[in-house]
Amino acid sequence: MDHIRWLLGRTAAALLTLLGVSVLIFAAVRAMPGSYTDLVLGPLATRSEKAAAAARFGLDRPVVEQYLYWLRNAVQGDFGTSLAARTPVATEFGDRLPVTVTLTALALALTVLIGIPLGVYTGTREGGGRGGAAGRLVSAFGMSLPEFVLGSLVVFLFTRYSLGLSVGTYVPWSQDPLGSVGSLFLPACVLAVFCVAATARTTRDAVLGVLVEPHIAAAVARGEPKGAIVRHHVLRNAAVPVLTLVATLTAYLLGGTVIIERLFNVPGLGSYLVDGLDRRDYAVVQAGVLLAAAVFITMNLLVDLVSGLVDPRIGTVGKRADA
Amino acid sequence: MRRSAIIVGCSVALSATLTSCSAPAATDATDTGKASKSGYLTASDASFKGTGPLTVQLDYDSVEAGGLDPQTAATARSWSIESLVYEPLVTVDPKFGIEPLLASSWKQPDATTYVFTLRKGVTFSNGRALTTADVVGSLQRLLKSKAAYAAQLGPVKSVTATGPTEVTVQLAKAYTPFLAALANTPAAILPMKEIDDGSLDLTKEMLGTGPFVVKNHKQDQYWNFTRNTAYRDTKKVRVDDLKIEIVPQEAARLAALRNGSAAVVNFNNIDSMDQLTGTRNAKVVSQANSDFYYLIQNSKNPDSPLADEKVRFALNSALNRTEIASVALGGQAQPTGVTPSVLPGACDPAKLPAATVKTPDAAALKKAGTLRLAVYTSEPAVGQIAQVIQQQLAKAGVTVKIQKYDDTTYGAKVFGAKPDFDLAVGWFAGYVDASMVSRWWNPVLAGFSGTFLNDDKTLDALIDKAAGEPDGATRTKTLADLCARVDTAAQMLPLVTRPSVIGYRTDQVSPTLRTAEGYGNFLRDITSYTLPAGK
Amino acid sequence: MRAAAVRVRRALAMRSYDGLFRAAVWVLGVLLLVTLAGPFVGVGGQPDAIVGPRLMPPGAGWPLGTDNLGRSLLPRLLQGIGTTLLLSCLAVACTALISTALGVIAGYRGGRTAEVILRIGDVLYSFPAIVLAVLVAAVLGPGRTAALAAIVLVTVPLMTRMVGTAARAVARREFVTAARISGVRAPTIMLRHILPNVAGTVAVQGTYALSVGILVEGGLSFLGYGVQLPDASLGLLIQEGGLYMVGAPWLIVAPGVVLVAAIMAINLVGDSLRDRFEPRETRSLV
Repeated sequence: MDHIRWLLGRTAAALLTLLGVSVLIFAAVRAMPGSYTDLVLGPLATRSEKAAAAARFGLDRPVVEQYLYWLRNAVQGDFGTSLAARTPVATEFGDRLPVTVTLTALALALTVLIGIPLGVYTGTREGGGRGGAAGRLVSAFGMSLPEFVLGSLVVFLFTRYSLGLSVGTYVPWSQDPLGSVGSLFLPACVLAVFCVAATARTTRDAVLGVLVEPHIAAAVARGEPKGAIVRHHVLRNAAVPVLTLVATLTAYLLGGTVIIERLFNVPGLGSYLVDGLDRRDYAVVQAGVLLAAAVFITMNLLVDLVSGLVDPRIGTVGKRADA
Repeated sequence: MRRSAIIVGCSVALSATLTSCSAPAATDATDTGKASKSGYLTASDASFKGTGPLTVQLDYDSVEAGGLDPQTAATARSWSIESLVYEPLVTVDPKFGIEPLLASSWKQPDATTYVFTLRKGVTFSNGRALTTADVVGSLQRLLKSKAAYAAQLGPVKSVTATGPTEVTVQLAKAYTPFLAALANTPAAILPMKEIDDGSLDLTKEMLGTGPFVVKNHKQDQYWNFTRNTAYRDTKKVRVDDLKIEIVPQEAARLAALRNGSAAVVNFNNIDSMDQLTGTRNAKVVSQANSDFYYLIQNSKNPDSPLADEKVRFALNSALNRTEIASVALGGQAQPTGVTPSVLPGACDPAKLPAATVKTPDAAALKKAGTLRLAVYTSEPAVGQIAQVIQQQLAKAGVTVKIQKYDDTTYGAKVFGAKPDFDLAVGWFAGYVDASMVSRWWNPVLAGFSGTFLNDDKTLDALIDKAAGEPDGATRTKTLADLCARVDTAAQMLPLVTRPSVIGYRTDQVSPTLRTAEGYGNFLRDITSYTLPAGK
Repeated sequence: MRAAAVRVRRALAMRSYDGLFRAAVWVLGVLLLVTLAGPFVGVGGQPDAIVGPRLMPPGAGWPLGTDNLGRSLLPRLLQGIGTTLLLSCLAVACTALISTALGVIAGYRGGRTAEVILRIGDVLYSFPAIVLAVLVAAVLGPGRTAALAAIVLVTVPLMTRMVGTAARAVARREFVTAARISGVRAPTIMLRHILPNVAGTVAVQGTYALSVGILVEGGLSFLGYGVQLPDASLGLLIQEGGLYMVGAPWLIVAPGVVLVAAIMAINLVGDSLRDRFEPRETRSLV
């Protein structure tokens, strides 16, 4: 019963947060100077032209009225129409979401496949000494490479030299599934570097934390083989912080591919969102931010749910906030 | 963000001066000296016999409030993309003369009458033949519209069908740029029957007489065109599938040209010419252009020192346009007066009043105080010009504070209802007649410039005179006077031409590219591109 | 016996760790020195002076090469380091102030106050960071103030939450209860008892916020919302350098290396601080 109440409370809080996000983004995007008509009609447009365009897009209505209208439609799944593309935002999301999801999935796959084993390896083998410092240094390096620096470097290398993979050419999934994954491989690698470093570190810390528990010492004393100890005891107990991090990274990746998509010319949600910001394409920005926030909040809720089941006292969850 | 020359512009184009084409083009640069005499940078190789697809990458897509309606299209990017489908009555030759297109010929019985004879055998891509009603209806629709371009057509009194294949346009008074204005995409001939019966929504679809039809378009991502089988010369068109990809990142377009995934790309940074060093089969050329960068000095604010013409002129004389061209634009641009310096009959920028001042008026400069200079982010050159201006004015004792805005903010601050700037750098399309762009210097004619530009009766009269006079020595003199007046009033100052760069793969296409463009249409001659066999 | 071994191992870890920590502090110290001394000493000349031809490789007169306007990169790089570090430090100071105040209040009061504070934090926290930063920069107009405000808004939610959690834990401890029962006023308790006990969390979170701040500034510059021309920041230099990567790679290499070194040093210092303030036992299977 307590669990259900806790879950209901958390869900209500999440919805409230989402509502807050919707109000804030609605207001903020309108507080940006200039509007769509300033950009698209260009300097040569007359006042009456601009006014007519604003009226056509409903931009001349009172803001509260616009918000309520938008909210009513959004709840029913209609996120409005992009001013620039003249297509429903939802349709465009349908086209772009798979791209960002594929990119995220690739980066996550790399993260899990490399980061966790690396963390377990360094964690079980290290209690200090030189190896520890080297591990720290490498993971700190991985976590200190901003996407726009690493991405620029990768674009440069693959532009300047023929290294097999092309940059800037996105192949749609429908056209060639394998080629599509290939075209997203480089940006996924760039995204993955931070995530791998963070996951390896968290895994290592978690493993180190578990290793001091008495039951591990007992297992060692019983003479269980090392591999079995790692599999049966260490991984199971270190799973929560690692899963938490992976969930957080998922949310981060889904909302944080903006720069990578720009740099590698990937037609995903991130580039759509920033284009929308630049053009004051309100409907696009509102829906994009709302979606990113919803994913983020849901992931956090899941994380809380999992860790709440394991340890009911736990409340908070870390998250990476960066560019 | 990068798609945004929109904001500032009425046109985009690829350009650069011919003289500097030798530029650092580290790849196999074209022999421009020879080519420029013919009016072409490069001509298609007739020995290429292939047909096939062609992929073009551009830095931004056409985005218009009027959708795909060519009449309300305000940017050169829209003009060039839409010109693949739509055609006007006349077109521009490589030397900025006018030649026939949908009109096979025209007569001008007097200064205010133009009689066009329509070309035979022209059909729209739906198979319907072009009629005089389409021509009359299209031009009347444009004139009635609120489109900015309608003003460029001049004082049109009437458009009437005067025979089964003949249309007559009457002007209220002589207007020399009339044919030049007709030669651009907004004056294209539309299928009026389909528009009138409601079967065609011009904002969403394109249906024209031109060489291509649209297969599909995804905003900001790609266009797919295919050959228009109803096009009168369709057999001559070698490109049967034309894909235009929108790739905002300059480095990604460079990569595409290097690895051959695009055959033709445009570059938004002049220095990209250097970036292809050592690439086989890639060639980069710069196309001169009538477009030019300008500096607006907001003279409408009575509290600003810029309300004083003396101050404005002193600031103007402290500028060094040659240095702007060489430092901010790597020597790829040339100084210009209000008559774009690449066009016939243009004035000599070296002879402008401010250029001949030895020492700027120190007393007036002192009054200038600290000035804010607005620029936008999408085009690196604009910020570079601003920084050079800042240094030039600093030498003259004037402090300039650069305010770099995203393109939309810039649009609102400079061209909004309440301008909030002292100085601003931007650019205009230069068009193809030396007097056309000067209309924007008359705030009454232009409409948009009245918020920061004082009406100057002397200048208005010169603009009017330049538009009305027939080409010749008298007009050249008037154009020079016009340039001088703009330079003295110093409200909106032409600076240097706007260069840009086109790259292509020699193993995939042999393009025809002109030395100079006026409407920013670097795909203009796409119907004569040839492709290697077996492609 | 085992406890002793653990202690020895930890001591070993700390020592090697201190080596890294010292190196990181050195890097930061040099960068800071450059920041403070650069403008006075005038190393390499004026940052905005045009000294030679455009896009020249490193050579006499321009030790790190020239940029797209013929300006020497060295003084611009020094100015850029200064701008980026000062901006981030200042922003993080603001964040620390705001977050500590809000976090301590939320942690001490709990209940509805904490709920409101954390909920507002959550709303900000749910925004993709770069979108939030661009919104702030566009609304305030690009420049230092906007970059500063953007960094603060991006970093405040997490720090508030962390400080709040730490303060909550402290508020439950006996000496706080004792102080409350003996009638000490709330502000005094918060200042005297809670604040000193969350200082470690603030320091740890502060260093992480610093590296996030540098990233935010870089991201803003990348998207065209960075500092105003002709000022240089590391993010802006990297963004501009990116345009010339093939023809003039030195323009992106130098600021890129400095940026990565700075973030890495800050992260390492942060890790060390974390280990000091939140020590944990470690042991190896080997």
